[in-house]
Amino acid sequence: MNSNIKLVISREYRERVGKKSFLITTILMPILMLGLMVAPALIMSIGMGQSKTTVVVVDNSGIVANELKSDENTVFMPTDATVDSAMRRADADAILVIPRELMTSKKPSLKYYSNGPSSMLVETTIRSAVNEIVEQRRLRDYDIENLGEIMQAVECDVDMSTVRLDRENAETASSELSSGLGIMLTFVLYMFLLLYGQMVMTSIIEEKNNRVLEIVVSSVKPAQMMMGKIIGVAFVAVTQIVIWGVLIAAMSSLVLPAIMPDQIMADVAALNAGNTAALSDTADISLLQAVAALGNVGYILQIIGVLTLFLVGGFLFYASIYAAIGSAVDNIQDASQLQTVTVVPVIIGLICAMGAATDPNTPVAFWMSIIPFTSPMVMMARVPFGIPAWEIIVSLALLFISFIGMVWVAAKIYRVGIFMYGKKPTVKELIRWVKYK
Amino acid sequence: MDILKVDNVSKSYTNHLALDNVSLSVPEGSVYGLLGPNGAGKTTLIRIINHITAPDSGAVTFDGHQLTQDDVVHIGYLPEERGLYKKMKVGEQALYFARLKGLSKRDAVVELRRWFERFEIMDWWDKKVEELSKGMAQKVQFIVTVLHRPKLLIFDEPFSGFDPINANLLKEEIMRLRDGGSTVIFSTHNMASVEEVCDHISLINHGRNVLSGNVDDLRRRYFGNRYELAYKGDSDELSRALGDMATEIELSLNPEGYSVMSLRKTDSAALRDVIDVSNRTVELISIAPALASMNQIFIRTVKDTTL
Repeated sequence: MNSNIKLVISREYRERVGKKSFLITTILMPILMLGLMVAPALIMSIGMGQSKTTVVVVDNSGIVANELKSDENTVFMPTDATVDSAMRRADADAILVIPRELMTSKKPSLKYYSNGPSSMLVETTIRSAVNEIVEQRRLRDYDIENLGEIMQAVECDVDMSTVRLDRENAETASSELSSGLGIMLTFVLYMFLLLYGQMVMTSIIEEKNNRVLEIVVSSVKPAQMMMGKIIGVAFVAVTQIVIWGVLIAAMSSLVLPAIMPDQIMADVAALNAGNTAALSDTADISLLQAVAALGNVGYILQIIGVLTLFLVGGFLFYASIYAAIGSAVDNIQDASQLQTVTVVPVIIGLICAMGAATDPNTPVAFWMSIIPFTSPMVMMARVPFGIPAWEIIVSLALLFISFIGMVWVAAKIYRVGIFMYGKKPTVKELIRWVKYK
Repeated sequence: MDILKVDNVSKSYTNHLALDNVSLSVPEGSVYGLLGPNGAGKTTLIRIINHITAPDSGAVTFDGHQLTQDDVVHIGYLPEERGLYKKMKVGEQALYFARLKGLSKRDAVVELRRWFERFEIMDWWDKKVEELSKGMAQKVQFIVTVLHRPKLLIFDEPFSGFDPINANLLKEEIMRLRDGGSTVIFSTHNMASVEEVCDHISLINHGRNVLSGNVDDLRRRYFGNRYELAYKGDSDELSRALGDMATEIELSLNPEGYSVMSLRKTDSAALRDVIDVSNRTVELISIAPALASMNQIFIRTVKDTTL
């Protein structure tokens, strides 16, 4: 019967990988992900130029009005009129009223009357502009010599590059980069767990409904049938990840050096050699580190290796639950309620992973990356920071052990569920099914 | 020899007893009808025979030994609600099921080609099942069921959804398989087809085997071994002539206008004497055992055992 489970696995695998939609998603997904990352910035940059706010300034202090500088978003129009008459002006989007005691009061309060919804951006701009004007004027009142030069000399813009000391070859990895990478990996996992898990569920529901199972299960034991499906779909997921891995590795080793300006590549080489003195003046450290990381094929393969392990472990774990749910219901609608069992922990994992991506060392991040329900996502958020190997091993071991336990439970439910038609079972009934001999 | 023996099999689910001490024997090479109203427990019994579920108690013997998982390759099962992958191609799908039943890929291809040519459906090979009509899909399902030359075939309502021509084709194929040495278990509600194809039946009601036996015997026994004579002539004279050879005489007319006498032959009288006497007295057209229809048997047995 062992050859039969292989037959099932190969059928499940070929049915999915052979489809056009698999090829399309495999190619489109990275583009979509890239789009998701670039889109917000793009939308922001388009959005900026569009709205223009005309602010009529009623300046009771007589200091600010002439020093407020208009830009492409906000146009300031000083006026001597009273507030009431300013409000009647047709060309005004908003009226800004500056109090008389602006200079003397510790915490002067401005008034901003807006025609329609006010933009947070405009409000922030106005507040900081007024603050600066007042501060400048107060400084000037101290009558210090060469104030301008002093202020310029004092100005500073710090750059920081992080170097791990506990590594043999001192890798440079900024936490900014690790955090971004962690969030991306978490999302990849989140998507895979839910999408591929549901794939297992819907396909079991379909088999149950068209009675394929009645035939197949006479040749293959229910538990083998379930495992065959889960493993077959897992291979599909791994195939997809491997294709992406190869694509990214190829891009980082071949394409990236070709498209990046020589200057940047030289700086990256200097950075990798730990020779920060050789960097050119214009070097942007975080950009360089990102390029360095993307160009580091070994680093990428290592990350993708760990990702694959957690993906497979997490998938097997969640797919078992999905298989049990799929076997217990007759249609997708009935499944939605039972699905909370999987969706809630995955989303909790996602939220914790967001936290872990900013600080990977909190106790919450640690424990959540060890406990199987959330461990795949939270651990992947932490991995780019370079956490100790034993944590990864313990987490993986726990994940795979709980997968075996979960499969055992799921197989028991599956065995009973696939022959139950009609009534949607409750969670209580599912637990009772597990206890059947 | 019996290819399948079911001994005192019981199976219960949470709230009800699906099978209650059911026993039956299926002779090798026979067509065996498994009858019963909806929910009687037929499907549960079929699942036990298919080794899908295990009985709580009792034993199932297949081909002389206790039924095991390995015997499943010798069984072909056509479920009532058809089970095929809609998105999979016909040929590929048939090969998959054949290989699950233990055929090598090469053997499966050879067998499959033969069946496809037989049914003249070679051009369906690369079609997806969802592109086929219901009747076409059922043909494919039938081939999938019989492809691995099982010793025991189980058909659950095989004719539903078939037009009369295809139903007939299927019936012929089933008979051909039987003649080739396979044993067929037939689960159906179509009593006319039971009369036509089944040698033996078991009637299951409320999880119990309430009636088992040879179809002809059962039909004869139902009316208490009565005979029906059709003739032209005087009925009174005939009944006088028969004397104490016949009891419980009933008279009627058949559609062709002949008189019909239904009688029970007394045990001491030989059928030959009955015929002789009748022949001398009236113009005898036919004499035949009074056969109940399976429909009558089914309805009465189910009613009697449902109380």
